[in-house]
Amino acid sequence: MKETMPILEVKNLSVSFDKQEVLKDVSFSVDEGDVLAIIGPNGAGKSVLFRALLGLIPFGGEIKWRENAQIGYVPQKLFEKAELPLTVKEFFILKSRNLFFRDRWIIESISHELKSVGLNQEILGQQLANLSRGQFQRVLIAWAILKHPSTLLFDEPTAGIDLAGEDTVYNLLRRLRDERGMTILIISHDLNIVYRYADKVLCLNKEMLCFGAPQDALTGEQIGRLYGEGVFNHHEH
Amino acid sequence: MAKAFSTTMNINEILNNQFLLVFVSGIFTALAASFLGAFIVVKKMALVGDVLSHVALPGIGLALLFNVDPIYGAVIFLLFAAFGTWFIEKKTKLSADAIIGTFFTATLALGVLLVPDQELFESMFGNIFIIKPYDAIAVIIASIIIFALTLAIARRLTLSIAAPDLAKSIGAKPDIFYLAFLLLFAMSIALGIKLIGSVLMGALTILPAISARNLSWSLKSFLGLSVILGVLITGLGILLANALNFPPGPTIIIFGVVFFIISLLFKKA
Repeated sequence: MKETMPILEVKNLSVSFDKQEVLKDVSFSVDEGDVLAIIGPNGAGKSVLFRALLGLIPFGGEIKWRENAQIGYVPQKLFEKAELPLTVKEFFILKSRNLFFRDRWIIESISHELKSVGLNQEILGQQLANLSRGQFQRVLIAWAILKHPSTLLFDEPTAGIDLAGEDTVYNLLRRLRDERGMTILIISHDLNIVYRYADKVLCLNKEMLCFGAPQDALTGEQIGRLYGEGVFNHHEH
Repeated sequence: MAKAFSTTMNINEILNNQFLLVFVSGIFTALAASFLGAFIVVKKMALVGDVLSHVALPGIGLALLFNVDPIYGAVIFLLFAAFGTWFIEKKTKLSADAIIGTFFTATLALGVLLVPDQELFESMFGNIFIIKPYDAIAVIIASIIIFALTLAIARRLTLSIAAPDLAKSIGAKPDIFYLAFLLLFAMSIALGIKLIGSVLMGALTILPAISARNLSWSLKSFLGLSVILGVLITGLGILLANALNFPPGPTIIIFGVVFFIISLLFKKA
């Protein structure tokens, strides 16, 4: 039976920091297996939206996840790596539910997930701090999908991954959607990615400017309103 | 010294051997403190640990006024300060540094006013002569408990400190683990007050951890080396202090600094 209820429903979501509204009246819904791209300029509240969806910060309005929805989260950056010597394997083990004892389940799943993000076993012994940006991002993705969550929140780093690498990360995300029926919410800075990979797009600049299928929602006028005219021209190849 | 290891020695002799009591309780204090110190370094709150230890002083002063064992005054004040730090950090956007720097440095002043001169010096820098058998046993048991609890929560604590958002995203409660950590840390400071003193105890938590950080290649090696170095520094410090008739606290810290300088030579880029 096809599940018709959306996996995520957001109604009139608002978030304020120090009485300043960073998100205002945002409403949208996501169906199972969809790829939703969230776009908007810097400071538009995209990462704040993710943090609200994860329940990390207080918010107004309503966020309704489908019952039993499990969420994997890939943050934009992790921590100041310098103070924490951590191997890739140890990083995975931190996700264990067992506070102290060996977690056989995690150990067995790690190699499976590494394979699905295109990394090989040898990376397990390396320090997180010594990974390339591309490898590091894949490790973060593997960490997030370790327990096969139904939904993945992917906060794309603003810079640092070359285009070839970026392309394959998106292919990887799409494959996860196709193979596992995962729902994917992705914060993106690249409009081309949105057209190529997303089923729906949400334009955000503190308030919601558009929501819908990319070809309908992302009119030239909308993009102009979102980023300013300059950017629109830049992307009109 | 030689007598300590003779086979004819009975339990009473062990308990009455002042050097042995200091040595063993020092080793166990270091075990707990240097393990917690590793997390202090990860959280980048080395100075917090240092200043937090001063909070013990007014507690010691009040305990002396009321004729109670000073350690109880220290424990109460330290636990309260640890909880206060956690609470204010949670409720405001101030960092732990700012909170402790602002609120708790005043306790040092208060401590100096409250604690009589002789006790003040001992509270700040430790005293080799006042360890009684009962104290030593209490310190050893408490150290083992603190060490075991820290080991039990080490995974969640690491994730909570290093990446609280990730911790929350998998349903962990980083706040709670951070609070537990601060309370354990406060307890371990209290344990070292008699032997090492409140001022130097902060340093004993940090020195092994930063040396271990320079040498380590993984979390396991970092935590392990931190504990090994802490125990080594303390053991050597007490031996040397005993031989030269120095107070143990400063001797231990100087050993710690020497180890740190050596560790810099091996620092990985």
